[in-house]
Amino acid sequence: MTILAIRALILLAILALWEIAARVGNPLIYVPPSAALPALAELVRLRSYPDLPEHLLLTAQEIVVAYGLAVGGGLAVGFGLGLYRVLGRAYGPILAALYAVPSVVWYPSLMLFFGLDAASKIAFGFLLGFFPVTLAVLAGIRQVNVHLVTVARSFGASSVTVFTKVMVPGMLFTLMGGLRTGLALAVIGVIVGEILGSKSGMGSLINHAYGLFRTADYVALVIVTLVLIIASDAAASLVERRARRWTA
Amino acid sequence: MSATVRVRALQAVSVLTLLGVWEAVVRLRLVDPLFVPAPSAVIRGFGAIAPTAMSALGDTLLKTAIAYVLAAVLGVTGGIVIGSVRSLHDTLHPFVGAVYGLPKILVLPWIVLMLGFGTAPAIAYGTIHGLFPILVLVMGAVRDVDRTLLTVARSYGARPWQVYVKVILPAIVPSVLGSLRLGIVFCLLGVLIVEMFAGVRGMGSVMGGLANGFRAPELFAATGLVSVASIAIVLGLDHLNEKLSRWRG
Repeated sequence: MTILAIRALILLAILALWEIAARVGNPLIYVPPSAALPALAELVRLRSYPDLPEHLLLTAQEIVVAYGLAVGGGLAVGFGLGLYRVLGRAYGPILAALYAVPSVVWYPSLMLFFGLDAASKIAFGFLLGFFPVTLAVLAGIRQVNVHLVTVARSFGASSVTVFTKVMVPGMLFTLMGGLRTGLALAVIGVIVGEILGSKSGMGSLINHAYGLFRTADYVALVIVTLVLIIASDAAASLVERRARRWTA
Repeated sequence: MSATVRVRALQAVSVLTLLGVWEAVVRLRLVDPLFVPAPSAVIRGFGAIAPTAMSALGDTLLKTAIAYVLAAVLGVTGGIVIGSVRSLHDTLHPFVGAVYGLPKILVLPWIVLMLGFGTAPAIAYGTIHGLFPILVLVMGAVRDVDRTLLTVARSYGARPWQVYVKVILPAIVPSVLGSLRLGIVFCLLGVLIVEMFAGVRGMGSVMGGLANGFRAPELFAATGLVSVASIAIVLGLDHLNEKLSRWRG
């Protein structure tokens, strides 16, 4: 209780300081909370940006498609490299090296290849989400207890049974973590892509507001985008908890 | 031994096959070279942009280095302070977690608005990008220090600074090194994003310009250059880590 009170106080203090600093400084640049809230109300009532729902929906769709591809690709590549040792030893290090490259270097090429529309954002979200999923599968396979696999085999379990009854439950904990990180990164990929250059989606609205110096609208748009992001993470955490209860 | 050779051979054959198929596909006009240039064209493209690209890369790496030092100092000291003071940790960790988890890109337009176009926003954003992973990992490492060691040190009369220097610091060294390895990629990522978004200098703006000008061979060459540079930096840090941990015993 007290700790929650202190946290609330800190939050209020930050907002108050922000309000004062913004009023003393330049309210246009620093956007005091008192200016951001009315802008948010205008935005939600679809007055400042009447086409907000379409853009929000597009961004959400891009995220869903990018994440779906990342999960599919990540699981396929992860299991491929994890179950066939030679492949894993050959391509695992290449994958790890590529993961050490700051992802945004690929974005200009994707933009050139896929254009300014949704495809380049989906491709970038896929790319960002793909690595954590793949690496989680690889790490998960390494965690599976070899003795359990041997025992299951010697009791006559088929490969499919070993996979579904021994391997997947044994690695689920790590796998779920990777799937959740993958979602967070796919979301970031889509939004980074939209902000770096797009014609529609939340990122394009943010750029529009920023470019016209409509800073209060910009803050309101950021808040709406944050709600979308937090909702996606909350959904992921719900699924993760379910899965963990299932293995426990 | 022979297994290692086989793996290396497989890697070399795969990469060479990929390059060969890629070159052939472009030469046979199965894809448009306007979008996917052949490897040979990329090499020629590298020759064309090498002078500009090298100085732009230097510019980017310098900004990254400054951002990295700031992120490392702030992240490690902040992590140790927040991690070791219980009341501070309990109040602040949801805030740190929230800022760590949310995409920093959303505040980028604001940073550019405040700091203008140029070096300052790149360094500021690169620092923010690298700071939080380091802060979160170091904070966690300090929380994970064996409580018994702390109790024993205290009950034998160790002063607070002795607890830090003799118990906490040695215990968190591996996590700190790990976080620093992670942080450099985040800093470079942040600097490149700013350069692409609002850059007038640096590798990010060069790549953005090449993409907008549809100069695919040069763009692929620039992408390869940045990738190689960042892989080299990470491998260098790994090497340093290994040396340090061997020295630590």
